[in-house]
Amino acid sequence: MSYLEYNVKSTPTGLRKILYLNWPLTLLLITVASVGFLQLYSVAGGSLSPWAEPQMKRFALGMTAMLVVAMVPIWFWRNMSVVAYLLSVVLLIAVELVGIEGKGAQRWIDIGFMRLQPSELMKITLIMLLAAYYDWLPARRTSHPFWVLVPVMMILFPTYLVLRQPDLGTSILLVTAGGGLMFLAGVHWAYFAAVIASGVGLVTAVFESRGTPWQLIKDYQYRRIDTFLDPASDPLGAGYHITQSKIALGSGGWTGRGFMQGTQSRLNFLPEKHTDFIFTTLAEEFGFVGGISLLSVYALIILFCVASALATRDRFSSLLTLGVAITFFLFFAVNMSMVMGLAPVVGVPLPMVSYGGSAMLVLMVAFGLVQSAHIHRPRGRSR
Amino acid sequence: MIRTPLRPLARILSARANGENPDAIMRENLRHRHAEMQDKARSRAEGRLLVLGMFFFCAFTVIGGRMGLLSVSEAEEPLASAIGTPIAAQRGDIVDREGRILATNFETHSLYAQPPFMVDPLSAAEGLVKIFPDLDRDRLIKDFTGKRKFVWIKKKISPEQKQAVHDIGDPGLLFGPREMRLYPNGSLAAHVLGGASFGKEGVDAAEVIGVAGVEKQFDNYLRDPANGGKPLTLSLDLTVQAAAERVLYGGMKLMNARGATSILMDVHTGEVISLVSLPDFDPNDRPAPPTSGFDPSVSPLFNRAVQGVYELGSTFKIFAVAQAMDLGLVGPETVIDTRGPLRWGKFRIRDFHNYGKELSVTKIIVKSSNIGTARIAQQIGADRQREFLSHLGFLDPTPLEIVEASGASPLLPKNWSELSAMTISYGHGLSASPMHLASAYAAIANGGRYVAPTLLRQDMPQEGPQVMSPQTAAASRNMLRLVVSEGTASFGDVPGYAVAGKTGTADKPKPRGGYYDDKVIATFASMFPAHDPRYVLIVTLDEPSENSGSEPRRTAGWTAVPVAAEMIARVAPLLGLRPDIEPRAAAGITLTSN
Repeated sequence: MSYLEYNVKSTPTGLRKILYLNWPLTLLLITVASVGFLQLYSVAGGSLSPWAEPQMKRFALGMTAMLVVAMVPIWFWRNMSVVAYLLSVVLLIAVELVGIEGKGAQRWIDIGFMRLQPSELMKITLIMLLAAYYDWLPARRTSHPFWVLVPVMMILFPTYLVLRQPDLGTSILLVTAGGGLMFLAGVHWAYFAAVIASGVGLVTAVFESRGTPWQLIKDYQYRRIDTFLDPASDPLGAGYHITQSKIALGSGGWTGRGFMQGTQSRLNFLPEKHTDFIFTTLAEEFGFVGGISLLSVYALIILFCVASALATRDRFSSLLTLGVAITFFLFFAVNMSMVMGLAPVVGVPLPMVSYGGSAMLVLMVAFGLVQSAHIHRPRGRSR
Repeated sequence: MIRTPLRPLARILSARANGENPDAIMRENLRHRHAEMQDKARSRAEGRLLVLGMFFFCAFTVIGGRMGLLSVSEAEEPLASAIGTPIAAQRGDIVDREGRILATNFETHSLYAQPPFMVDPLSAAEGLVKIFPDLDRDRLIKDFTGKRKFVWIKKKISPEQKQAVHDIGDPGLLFGPREMRLYPNGSLAAHVLGGASFGKEGVDAAEVIGVAGVEKQFDNYLRDPANGGKPLTLSLDLTVQAAAERVLYGGMKLMNARGATSILMDVHTGEVISLVSLPDFDPNDRPAPPTSGFDPSVSPLFNRAVQGVYELGSTFKIFAVAQAMDLGLVGPETVIDTRGPLRWGKFRIRDFHNYGKELSVTKIIVKSSNIGTARIAQQIGADRQREFLSHLGFLDPTPLEIVEASGASPLLPKNWSELSAMTISYGHGLSASPMHLASAYAAIANGGRYVAPTLLRQDMPQEGPQVMSPQTAAASRNMLRLVVSEGTASFGDVPGYAVAGKTGTADKPKPRGGYYDDKVIATFASMFPAHDPRYVLIVTLDEPSENSGSEPRRTAGWTAVPVAAEMIARVAPLLGLRPDIEPRAAAGITLTSN
């Protein structure tokens, strides 16, 4: 379906578009961001600086970006997706060459007024490209091996670049979101089964070979994997985060210690307390109730995205919306699992809550695309 | 795939019969098919979405469940024992051959200040100066009242000092736990161990890195957590090392020497049992290395046994004689012309005393005749001599496992002429370290096999290359034994231990060429017990002078030999050797058979 077939006349125009925004989704996003402001205020010991205030400014910027993106018709974004993807790839390669190093990883490029993290940008542009690809591809070719290989390359090339930075969290996010989108687009399930089976086989082989003469990787690599998978075995090294955040969650109990009463976070036991591990301060101060509420808000955001995807008959819009939902889901699911010791520690922030510019801005732009798809959805019966 | 035809003949015919346009039927069917395909794709997509939804739901449940589980569980602190272990194992211990600790780790604290949190910077500074008198009060006050947010005060403090600082009670004075390297035996084996210092320093920990000796050589091994705190076992014996250090220190004082070194080495395994270099230092408080422009060999950090390359004098004579015997050029009783002085161009070779017109090869060694040895070297020739000395390891740095060894290359003549061959045969013109000498003497002692000196405990004798025949080695040992029993090293006889060896007294070279006539390096290279040597002992004294007589005596026979004899008498029992009667007959048989 090309954009010429959109029933352009039925979509709202001008400022009237604001009325047609996905308002529940917008309100949910504001709610989550506010939770973030509160937590950053609390973590800083009841102070707007150094985190809460910049975060609010960034959210305002993000809201603006979201509205601007939402006002632009979705078919424009669809036509831009290849350009956007190529631009992100170029930026990723640029990071490789001229990037700034932070905490042992090379992730940013300085573009004057802000530091750009192209791997964040890649998360959206990859989804845009895949959605556009499956919109363009005739449905009967979806499972043809060649037409499966093309999107796989689209996913793996930027993933390789991100992995070189090195940023394991984002790489996992890219592969999983891309794979999820391919699954939703209707690629034959046998491909997924084959990938999963070979993955499981490889992992089993690596672990089975341990201690035998034909072992596949070196001993020290096994030990690294051990600590990675079971941080509790190294409570002061790799497992320190986990131990401390478990203490925070445990001491929070059902209703928590109360706002600004968390000791784990306020007394500097927790590293990264304002970024990746901010959920622990929330859990400590508001307990299980607070944690489950945040989880529910996240679930509602996903739900509204899925509803919006189901409501539109445009394949690009629906795939894009679902892709954004998957990415968002991966963000908070991986982050929460990591904080609660269900998953190894990979650097993934809690979406919209963790302190950090690039991630929030990129998510807001992504939701702008979702809003645009919602506003410009084909209306009325076309038959 | 079975497709329904778009233009079913029956319907077309009937439509035509009714006069309708058959194309309409086709369009109708096409639309139906599209709708059908769309529905199929849609139901498939919805199926996929359902799967994804179920996955999402499961994830939500797991996360929510985990959250509930954690919030009902009691907050558990990590066990105290789990805190201590990983730190203790950070750097491996170093132990001697019996497993006695030579270097270990000790938990200590660093002291730092965060001036913004200080209540009373002035009285804090006063209190600190009382505890640490070496601190500068004014500087502390300047640091504490200035704009600095962080100030290191002390890298490591003792528990008593920590308590005293704690009693000052200022919240801006803080302690950071860290590990330090501890050498519980103080200066014992200082030059082997080297020392360690802090690398990257943080508030919570500091990296300990080796800076010299085995600490630096095996830095990666000691730091590798994969070794699981397994210690590094050296070949040194703590008790022997301690005895050797005491004897050598006493000897150095008695002989008024500037410095001294001794090496005790197992001749079969190459293990260095003790290595002393004096003056020494305490690796717990390693002195700063000497600045440039200053003779490094004066510094206590200088390892004379390994880094010091000296002309080792007459101790070299046995190599020329052994090679000549091995080549079949001479036998122990071959008579050599020793009329002096021996002229070679402008150069003259003299003996210490005049030994008459001729001497047997054995007597050349026993009396230490330069002329006789030089004549033997002439027969051997420069090329063969060079090859033989290279087999004994004299042309390369020793492979000893401390970082200093690889930097100590022997000094060789630029042009290995016949004259060089003659002077080298009696130990001038080639400078090597005492460690080189120990390794070469070990080859004579063990029946002709080269052994590489090592500082790590070995379980097996080395199977080094045969550099001379066992017969040659045995004949050489007989000569060396005679040096002690009736020659220049008569003070070296230790009853019951049958010492064999060779003295060497070399004039010290002046820095700008030429030689001092009142400064010598006196060396005694020995092995014991002579009939079946197990150990080689090298004792070298730097500028000794024995002043009990009417004029100072500097030759090795008067200086290095008595020190070595005392050392053998002290360490042989520690090494498990019992006094034994020397089997004279066996020695005689070896003599005649050669």
